[in-house]
Amino acid sequence: MGRTLPTSTDLFLQEQESFGRFRRALRRSDQLALDDLFDSARLHLAATQYASHALPFEVMLLSMLLEEHKLVMRLREQFDIFSRRLP
Amino acid sequence: MKISGWLFDIYPNKVNGLTLWLIGDDGQRYCLQHEFAVRFYAAGPSAQLRALWKFLEGREEPVKLSRTERRDIYMGKITVLACEVANPAAMRDLFQQASQAFPDLTYYDADIHLALRYAAVTGVFPLARCEVETLGNRVQSIQPIDTRWELDPIAPPMRTLSLEPDDDPSCRTPKGIIFQYERYSYRLDLEPARPVLVNLRAILERFDPDLILTNHGDTWLIPWLASKIKELGIPIPVNRDPGYEILTHKEHTYFSYGRIVYRGQQSQFFGRWHLDKQNTMLWSDYGLDGALEMARVTCLPVQEAARLSPGSGISAMQFVTAMQTGILIPWRKAQAEKPKTALELIRADMGGMVYQPTIGLHENVIGIDFVSMYPGIMVHFNISPEVQRSGIALEPSTDEPGIVPQTLEPLLKKRIAYKSALFDMPKWDDRREKYKARSSAEKWLLVTCFGYLGYKNARFGRIESHEAVTAYGREALLRAKEAAEKLGYEILHMYVDGIWVKKAAKPDADDIRKLLEDVADRTGLPIALDGMYRWVAFLPSQVSAKVPVANRYFGVFQDGSTKVRGIEARRRDTAPLLSKTQMGILEILAEASDVGAIRKVMPEVDRFIDSKVRALRDGRVPLEDLVMRQRLSRELEAYRTPSPAARAAQQLAGVGKTMRAGQSIRFIITRGKPGVHAWDLPTEVDRKSIDVQRYQALLYRAIGTVLDAVVPLEKPPDLFDLPARIEIPIKNDLMAVC
Repeated sequence: MGRTLPTSTDLFLQEQESFGRFRRALRRSDQLALDDLFDSARLHLAATQYASHALPFEVMLLSMLLEEHKLVMRLREQFDIFSRRLP
Repeated sequence: MKISGWLFDIYPNKVNGLTLWLIGDDGQRYCLQHEFAVRFYAAGPSAQLRALWKFLEGREEPVKLSRTERRDIYMGKITVLACEVANPAAMRDLFQQASQAFPDLTYYDADIHLALRYAAVTGVFPLARCEVETLGNRVQSIQPIDTRWELDPIAPPMRTLSLEPDDDPSCRTPKGIIFQYERYSYRLDLEPARPVLVNLRAILERFDPDLILTNHGDTWLIPWLASKIKELGIPIPVNRDPGYEILTHKEHTYFSYGRIVYRGQQSQFFGRWHLDKQNTMLWSDYGLDGALEMARVTCLPVQEAARLSPGSGISAMQFVTAMQTGILIPWRKAQAEKPKTALELIRADMGGMVYQPTIGLHENVIGIDFVSMYPGIMVHFNISPEVQRSGIALEPSTDEPGIVPQTLEPLLKKRIAYKSALFDMPKWDDRREKYKARSSAEKWLLVTCFGYLGYKNARFGRIESHEAVTAYGREALLRAKEAAEKLGYEILHMYVDGIWVKKAAKPDADDIRKLLEDVADRTGLPIALDGMYRWVAFLPSQVSAKVPVANRYFGVFQDGSTKVRGIEARRRDTAPLLSKTQMGILEILAEASDVGAIRKVMPEVDRFIDSKVRALRDGRVPLEDLVMRQRLSRELEAYRTPSPAARAAQQLAGVGKTMRAGQSIRFIITRGKPGVHAWDLPTEVDRKSIDVQRYQALLYRAIGTVLDAVVPLEKPPDLFDLPARIEIPIKNDLMAVC
């Protein structure tokens, strides 16, 4: 659409595709986990674009980490609740 | 003599000056001549300007030459050679000769539409009310009585003749033509053509319509008439001005915004209007009012204003502003993009902020929108190619407003005036439709204005200004987000100029007012409530259930009305069966007062779906509800593996109907090969050949789009209250692999 630069979605797809060989050699179960990681990077494409970082993959890695950390935080909270309930 | 009335049509006279058509207050139609000299300017090295002076003096056409100072938008005051041509019709040839002989000079004001020049000089624009002093049929003086920004302009009394072929000429050759005027309405056979022509002549002579309103007139009816007039030698006064032929523009295709666009042939008259319903903007929604408003605000004659291509409306308005304020309009844009470093480019070359919404069903959602965000930014922050601004402080500019904000401000004000009037107007008020039509026409101009700022050939465009607008937009949206989060809202979604938020407790009117005020405070831009939703469902992509899509959602407002974006129901390419089913389901869901009540209406949804599926299986769905549409993305020969649309187009080509790239093709999916049946073939599709299974699959998918979001099929074990996106049962999958 008359843009000079690829959008963050394009960049994302390029990065994901560049790991095609890596993904192919993984076990099916690991492939699914990898896809899940990439999906979590996708949740922050707007922020990735806004960051306009020269190395977008770094921001994507950080996005994956962000989602993982959210999960850890949530699990920890749940764990605290459960451990308090235990006798 | 003194005449008051409306300016109806304006074009260059072949002999000298302009021809004006006026509808007088006395009901008479006046054809007047107005002497009107036009000017173009040239700038460059003085030796070359002197040579141009000599060159122009040597032409047959008399030219008044003078040296003067004018303002170039980027360079400020410059010395230019002004060339004044007394006969506007001769200007084009003269300019062409000059620009070919002296290609290195910079030319200004060379290709400006005459109606725009006239509006800039006299203040009289198409459909303006004006007072004219005449001597014979010569205009001595002309004065406007109203302005382009009048909210309730008085409409001229018009006589309309409507002509319609009895069939769609793009599918089947019409056999007759339907005439309609005053209280008469009748049909005549097309063959023999003589009675049609004789009849038309009689109507034109006796009834003398101002507007000939047709269906398919541009592409078929008027060309057909013209060929018959020639063939049978019956002269017909389709033009009120006898000295003119019908004006035709040829069909063409071009590439714009990532897709091929097709523009059909056009036919225009002199002293009378021809409007083709199929080729008039917003006709299906608003009829004539949208087109008339377009003519008033752009200053272009009605026939052109109704057929505007994107960008030409707004640039017409900019030209008028430029001429009124003494700014030169470059003939060819010489301004190139400034070099940027890669990092600058990465920072600048971005669009609006488009968020990834939180997938799922949400209650107590508030949607707020910036009002005409991009035009608002341009006006409020004075964004114009010639204005220097740095940073995005979101503070109003103190400089003199540039040409873009100057052009937009009255338009934006007018639109906001219509919108707020509509807000308070009772449903029965007969001004409603007119106001809606006008504000839509204005919206269209405002929307294209932003795109045009970044268009490489726009005379007053500049990519940096375009980028500045999106930068301000992103900043404003992020500030809105911060304001909402500070008030304790959760951000669900942001989309360029809109933002969706929710709160655990149902927000009341005070909460909403506080939110709007805070956002307006932080951004300086007007913001309005889009609505308070009972619930909204943001949908995942069709490829992956975990990936959100920016513009795929539906929701129900507090008053029970629905808002739907991006799903099949909104797409023009899907079969009406799918959209009808989706909308039907949504209407039933909208009866539920909150998310909890959705369960209660589900039996009704089930019954509704059942009836639709059964109708499809039993062949009771009307054929037109199965028609899909697809645009041809290239010429037929260029397809390597033809898409369904291309296969349908091949069928049409087989019966002698060539379709061009950019045209959309209608077809029904059938079993076996070629798998489609073009809807516009003369033969009707055989019901037995329809691919019911394929339609059923599509129907289920469309139903799933709506229902999956509202009622998750099976609830995951809620033990840890995990968010939806990490439900993926990796362990189970491992087992499956083992």
